[in-house]
Amino acid sequence: MKALKMTCEDVYPLISESRDHALPFLSRMRLKMHFALCGLCQIYQKQLETLCKVARALGKDEAKALEETSMSPEVKEKIRQWIIKKT
Amino acid sequence: MSKEILDPQKWVELYADMMYRFALVRVKDPEAADELVQATFFAALKSQHTFAGKSSEKTWLFGILKHKIMDHFRSSKKHISIDLTSNEGPDRIKFDSSGHMSPKPGNWNIDPEKAAENNELAQVLAECLKALPKKYHKLFILREIDGLSSDEICKEFNIKPTNLWVILHRARNQLKLCLETNWLNTK
Repeated sequence: MKALKMTCEDVYPLISESRDHALPFLSRMRLKMHFALCGLCQIYQKQLETLCKVARALGKDEAKALEETSMSPEVKEKIRQWIIKKT
Repeated sequence: MSKEILDPQKWVELYADMMYRFALVRVKDPEAADELVQATFFAALKSQHTFAGKSSEKTWLFGILKHKIMDHFRSSKKHISIDLTSNEGPDRIKFDSSGHMSPKPGNWNIDPEKAAENNELAQVLAECLKALPKKYHKLFILREIDGLSSDEICKEFNIKPTNLWVILHRARNQLKLCLETNWLNTK
């Protein structure tokens, strides 16, 4: 059991890492054990989940806004003239 | 089947906006997107003779644009060298004597699913993102917003997975603290 014990300090990086790759079996077990005892780490995990969900929603809004942008008429005209000259 | 032909004089009218948006979504820099579209038309004009007419004109131009975007990423890769020992990154996480994070995580009192619809929270996060150091910002966006896998990011920027995870951990933590200061405290 002692091998499974972890402090919050050990656990915080794993909470973040678990979002980026599948943790090794032992780390997963340690995390589970720790969560069973520590409410603060559970809150931290939920906060990261919230943070990342909001970031994703923000990205979607930006992508939507991008769909409505176009190249500036000046740049387009410059390229148009340049193509006419070269063809 | 009739062969596709090129009509350069119509390129700007037909494809410039489409290509510009395609580039902008990826490089996130209007000036760079302008340059990429110009460079694509330039390269396309020069290599018109290589167009076999098997694909459409649009597919052919976008193929060139994709190459240009990859070149752009490759040439800016050197700006992503990460020095984990430098002090430039976000603050390291602090712990009190009992091993708990200090300050303790505040109670956000919000369901993660509902948080995505909270405009005020999104606005504060957008500001917090701007405050992240550039390298951390870029890697966070690629991972969490663009949804690239750790493997893809490590390959693209030639960094070790363990380094990437440390960076993402620090970035998330700084964002979390920033949200607690600027959103939670004003709720």
